[in-house]
Amino acid sequence: MASSRPTEGTHFIAHKGTFRLFGLTLGDCIKFFFGGNAVVSVVVLALITIFLFREGAGFFGENRENLEVYRQAGLEYVDYIRTQQDDHTALTRYLSDLRVRQVNYLTQQKKLSLAAANAALAGFDTFADQYGDAVEPIRTLVSDLTEQATAIKEKFTVTEDRKTQRAQLLAAGQTEAAAKIETVPIDFVAELKPILGTLPAYREAAAEFSRRLNAVIATAPAMPEPALQARLERFKELNAEYLAGFPSVLRNLESWDFRAPVPASRAFTSFLFGHEWRTASFWQDWYGVIPLLVGSIMVSVVALVLAVPLGVGAAVYVNQIASPFEQRLIKPSIEFISAIPSVVLGFFGIAVLGQLLRALSQVPGLAWVPGFPYAERLNILTAGCLLAFIAVPTIFTLAEDALNNVPRAFTEASFALGATRLQTVVKIIVPASLSGIISAVLLGLGRVIGETMVVLLCAGNRIAIPDFTAGLAVITQPVHTMTGIIAQEMGEVVQGSIHYRALFMVGLVLFFLSLGINYVAQGIVRRYRISIG
Amino acid sequence: MSTECHIFQARPSALRRREGLVFFCFRAATYFVLLCGALIFGTIVFKGAGSVFQVRAPFLNTTFLTEAPESLHVFEFHGQKMELGDGDYRVFQARHPDVARVKSESYIYSAGGIFPCIVGTVLLVLGSMAIALILGVSAAIYLNEYARDGRFIRFVRLAILNLAGVPSIVFGLFGFGMFVIFFGWNVSLLAGWFTLAFMVLPVVITASEESLKAVPRGFREGSLALGATKWQTIRKNVLPYALPGILTSSILGIARVAGETAPIMFTAAYVVRDKLPWQVDKFSEFFFQGVMALPYHIYVVSSKIPQNEYTERVQYGTAFVFLLIVALIATASIVLRSRLRNRYQW
Amino acid sequence: MVTSAPSLMETRPSASVRHPTVAAPATGAAVAPAGATLVDIDQLDFFYGALQALHGVTLGIENRKVTAFIGPSGCGKSTLLRCLNRMNDLIDGARVAKGMIKIRGIDIHRPDVDVIELRKRVGMVFQKSNPFPKSIHENITYGLKLQGQTNKARLDEVVETSLRGAALWDEVKDRLHTSGLGLSGGQQQRLCIARALAVEPEVILMDEPCSALDPVATAKIEELIQELRTRFTIVIVTHNMQQAARVSDKTAFFYLGKLIEYADTRTIFMNPAHAQTEAYVSGRFG
Repeated sequence: MASSRPTEGTHFIAHKGTFRLFGLTLGDCIKFFFGGNAVVSVVVLALITIFLFREGAGFFGENRENLEVYRQAGLEYVDYIRTQQDDHTALTRYLSDLRVRQVNYLTQQKKLSLAAANAALAGFDTFADQYGDAVEPIRTLVSDLTEQATAIKEKFTVTEDRKTQRAQLLAAGQTEAAAKIETVPIDFVAELKPILGTLPAYREAAAEFSRRLNAVIATAPAMPEPALQARLERFKELNAEYLAGFPSVLRNLESWDFRAPVPASRAFTSFLFGHEWRTASFWQDWYGVIPLLVGSIMVSVVALVLAVPLGVGAAVYVNQIASPFEQRLIKPSIEFISAIPSVVLGFFGIAVLGQLLRALSQVPGLAWVPGFPYAERLNILTAGCLLAFIAVPTIFTLAEDALNNVPRAFTEASFALGATRLQTVVKIIVPASLSGIISAVLLGLGRVIGETMVVLLCAGNRIAIPDFTAGLAVITQPVHTMTGIIAQEMGEVVQGSIHYRALFMVGLVLFFLSLGINYVAQGIVRRYRISIG
Repeated sequence: MSTECHIFQARPSALRRREGLVFFCFRAATYFVLLCGALIFGTIVFKGAGSVFQVRAPFLNTTFLTEAPESLHVFEFHGQKMELGDGDYRVFQARHPDVARVKSESYIYSAGGIFPCIVGTVLLVLGSMAIALILGVSAAIYLNEYARDGRFIRFVRLAILNLAGVPSIVFGLFGFGMFVIFFGWNVSLLAGWFTLAFMVLPVVITASEESLKAVPRGFREGSLALGATKWQTIRKNVLPYALPGILTSSILGIARVAGETAPIMFTAAYVVRDKLPWQVDKFSEFFFQGVMALPYHIYVVSSKIPQNEYTERVQYGTAFVFLLIVALIATASIVLRSRLRNRYQW
Repeated sequence: MVTSAPSLMETRPSASVRHPTVAAPATGAAVAPAGATLVDIDQLDFFYGALQALHGVTLGIENRKVTAFIGPSGCGKSTLLRCLNRMNDLIDGARVAKGMIKIRGIDIHRPDVDVIELRKRVGMVFQKSNPFPKSIHENITYGLKLQGQTNKARLDEVVETSLRGAALWDEVKDRLHTSGLGLSGGQQQRLCIARALAVEPEVILMDEPCSALDPVATAKIEELIQELRTRFTIVIVTHNMQQAARVSDKTAFFYLGKLIEYADTRTIFMNPAHAQTEAYVSGRFG
């Protein structure tokens, strides 16, 4: 009698004999199975971070070593002088540019034949040649020093290789074999002596060089036209500035000390702010992400400048103006465009668009466009146009969504007050959906900056910061991008090498860049939802 | 007073003209985009169709679709211009030994077909979509049916959103670092599958969740009220209604998987491979072999060989076949979705 | 003369002088006597796609009177209201199949009618208050700015008169530049009325303006309608029979898209001619 009550009660509470696994009911198991799958996304995100860091982390240590060798082997010392030589080369390029301008002036304004123009420029040519040859003492010095420094570096590398080999053998327990490998520690003081010993020679060479330059510059011929004369005067100024820099080079050389430690931060800054990405070079490898970052940004900017008006314009048109029939036609078509694989677009760029745009740039009527005409088929512009085509569907779809989310009540109220459609669009609909549109643009940017195949195929792949002095014409120069460099070089690098790790670091930059863009876009959308209410 | 004129008279005005002009610009932008799309599509179809179709029966260039890529040899022989694939060239050489003396230009990949690439792409898509669907649909079921809104779930959702924004090349790097190197799978189908599956996971989860959300609450409550367990409810009364939606939306994921090149560049794709995927000694080897893939082949033929009349055929042909496959998938998804939207309305 | 003048007029901001060529009747409500028929609806058939929403409705709305449309849900009263300033144009597939609506004797569906001009003269207040996500000041000046009014003093003046007209001035005068969405439900609705007043329409259409409000806010709006009736022609759609009885001069009862009865409010409520009307107003169905 007393026992019947609890059984009644438990009837609702638990099933007797329920299947249990580790104390979990079947329902719990199922739940945890699904839950586990949901966690996969978090795990993947974490794993991406971990693996990029895992492969990339060693970079800074190795890069610091790389920079230390650069200093210890005297490469840095030689580069001071080399920079001086390179600056001179830049000046001679200025002269050749001036010559081209003179020829143009003579043939076009003075209607001289090319041969006559060349003959008229004989004096200038002698001047330019003498100016160019003046660097001879320095050049000789640099090439000698280069050989010596390279030899030291070579020696160092060999020693290092042996060390690792020995360490490996020791680790494998083969002490005998390890003992056979002899490693001679490099005596940098002794090795560097011949290089440092050239300081007096340098002093002499530099003095000779500047004497020659001064002598040559005095013989500069007069220009046939004021504008050209102004350029020549500018050249003289540049030359004077160049000569004024000589003492500081000398100071650098005098105070240079191979023992000065390379700060740990240099490994970091030389990556993040380094202006050169040079790999597998005989002299010195540099892993500076700036040229790639600038390339990525330039290409994305061009793409967005084209894609934002098109994408947002199309979204406004389809959402506000188009007839239902047009809507049914356009929306799937643009969605369809987004399905075109990027590698096909890249191929289209190589096969068709590059030539098309170049041909367009060479149309005489379009010469006023900055950068036109140009010769490089694959450049920022070509890649930017194709990327714009990739970004348009993203921007269109998301912006159209945002426009759609504007409450109908706003639109109706505006119309009821006698607003035209344009006024309603400009004053009510676009402001109300602005944050949605901005986040659409940002997500478009994320799409563009992470795009690989198009830039790999069409951006021209020249690893250098584009010449911004060209103004807007900069968009007709080739660049390389972060995504492109990974795709291009990853397949060729030695696993675990510094180059390999540098590529992972680039991937990490790209990863955080895209996370940042995503984060900002989401933040904007969230705030927008609150304000609407 | 004129009868034509009244208080509501429509009048031409600067405002109206401006409105017309602005709207014309919007329209122009829209149609410009569509025109560009048509142009790209048209060029590739126009030039590529020649490699795939032919005027004689069977109208389909079976060589191109069923054979492996070969080098193309172009040479002049007894005043006759010859273009032969590598295999034919050797046979021809055996028959006419003096051919060796004739100067011959050769272009790699420009003869033969793209069969191994098609096979590879199909394998990659099937495998990665299977993984992505299992993971993604399960995750969506959890998020929509089981999870209560909390910090953890918000974190999961944030992760999904962010995962969607990660560039595909970063997935490639990740796959390379984790599957190829850390797990030691080398360049293999398996590594490619997982890399692609993770890449497409956010798409699948979002699509599945939306389909699950579209199933009315009443379906669940009704089932639970009849004493069904949660899992029974989901299995019998939610999933069947959500499944068509999940599948169609996931087709877009297929298009993405099939179209991406960057993630498979160092995880699964070979530039060239003589054996077909099923020509393996052991069954387990099947998973650990690299394959050729259409998108990677396009990359190779468009960047590594010169552009001329001989190479054009394979370049445009491959692009055409690839575009056709992706376009079919995308169209199927768009059409199916609009069909289903009309059919399943609760 | 007729065609050249308007473009000049368009740029002139004043709302009271709209069109010089239509002299007497057009200069505003002041001239037409109260009680004269302002809006003339004649045999109107209206469709949403294949669905007929109005069946041969004939109705005259009098100048400077409050006309109430009552009837059960789906009877077409809101549809008719939205026909009066052609808001139904915004709905795909909505069309007038037969009949016409004349305002001041002009068929508003004539092809040469500028729907913008129409809506300036026939303002509307919606069921759910819908202030723009802008400041109170911007909400009210929105309509005037559209017409090119930029004079700040004039705009401020209009803001004040409109808000006073909508009995909202005292409550919001210190926070004109805060968001209109920060007001209470009743205040938002009065803001919407003030916004409609700012364009100085002749007719104000109110589509169940109090249905989302509490009794106190409803009382305020009703009070406001009483004040506005002297200056505007008001058409109000309501579900609340007492409200119709309280505020309107004339009442139209609709049922299933047909106008059943249209008469003085007193008659409709005290002595309706139709059994259906009686059943509805006494609360027996609907």
